[in-house]
Amino acid sequence: MNQADVSKLVSKLRVKVLPKHRNLPGPKGPEGRIDKLRKTVTGLIKFERIELNYNRADEARQYAERLISEAIRHGDCHKPTMDTADFWLLEKELVHKLFKVLVPRYETSNLSYTRMYNAPRLQYGRTIDKVVLELRGNPFPDLLNNKSNNKLLIQNVLLDAAKNDYRQTKIAEMAKNIGKDIGTKQNTDSKLNEAPEKPNIS
Amino acid sequence: MIPRFTHVLQLMKNVERNLFHMFGYHPPKELALAYVHERKPVATPKKFSIKDIVGDGFLLAVPKFRRTIERKLKRKFGTPEYVWKMLVPKNHIKVCQNCGHHHEKRRLCENCYTKIKKETEEIQAQIKEKLGINPIEHDVVVLYKGETLPDQPKEFWKGKRIIEMKKERPQWFSKNLLEKTTQQPSKSTDVKPTDLA
Ligand SMILES: [Zn+2]
Repeated sequence: MNQADVSKLVSKLRVKVLPKHRNLPGPKGPEGRIDKLRKTVTGLIKFERIELNYNRADEARQYAERLISEAIRHGDCHKPTMDTADFWLLEKELVHKLFKVLVPRYETSNLSYTRMYNAPRLQYGRTIDKVVLELRGNPFPDLLNNKSNNKLLIQNVLLDAAKNDYRQTKIAEMAKNIGKDIGTKQNTDSKLNEAPEKPNIS
Repeated sequence: MIPRFTHVLQLMKNVERNLFHMFGYHPPKELALAYVHERKPVATPKKFSIKDIVGDGFLLAVPKFRRTIERKLKRKFGTPEYVWKMLVPKNHIKVCQNCGHHHEKRRLCENCYTKIKKETEEIQAQIKEKLGINPIEHDVVVLYKGETLPDQPKEFWKGKRIIEMKKERPQWFSKNLLEKTTQQPSKSTDVKPTDLA
């Protein structure tokens, strides 16, 4: 077989890609779509966390992932990669950031380079869905900030103490009943023997 | 076929009558109508104008046509597939693990998110102020007031930019619950009264 392995030619994205792209309609047509995506990718690389509409974010995310994976794959001495970075990053100082900051940050990770969260919606009224798009490993506070598994969380400390108390009382109860248990068991055994046999119902 | 035949018959009758008329065969004068001609003034028809009816008053907009029952119900309740105007209970509300506010499932908690958003914007502004328009070649470490760099080998800090915030680290942004909190422990010696009831 002389066929090349496709997975080795193109870097596989670590995010879900729709079978068909979104058009992001506007007066400028397909050109305008690319312009919008370039602005979004530039903003994402620059600010590391942005909030925007779902469709545009999901579309731009794929391009950002591809750009970073290409940069990791080929490095900064590869002309086509450099051209791609030059095209997608409107502010040219971000090209330096891509190769000097983001590539070392993501080289060893096997997760996606970006994360996307659904932003809270208005309680009433109809709005367009917003999302928060961010690069992994940014210096900002964690959005999920989920500490529910932390042992030192006050609820968990209280729950642990309650569990311990319950266990202690149970053990004490069992210890008390050990002596009585044998006597009661003998009684029940004799009762069982005296009980008449039940008629077999078929 | 028959209408055409009667039509031809009618035509022939007309021709016959006209011929008789031409050669002086009139019907007898006794059968003529007695008619006196009188000239009447011709009244010019006046154009209809709504002002004749309303005068100095005014008109309200009123429905011109009856709304069918179906349209009425559609306007009132909407369509379940498109815009359903009835109040429908939301079954996907969850309680936030961090703050206890309610939020939609698979969506960020609004209370937490507004806090984090504000903090993020402050840090972003600080980074922008520090780095300016220089090429951003360094990773960023955020330090709050009164914090020192964690113990790490020197290679770890190589090529990192340290951004100092001019305030103390927010309590909810601490990495460890045993860290010092921004809230000082109270020194008041007041004791809550017991055995009141
Ligand atoms: Zn919350």
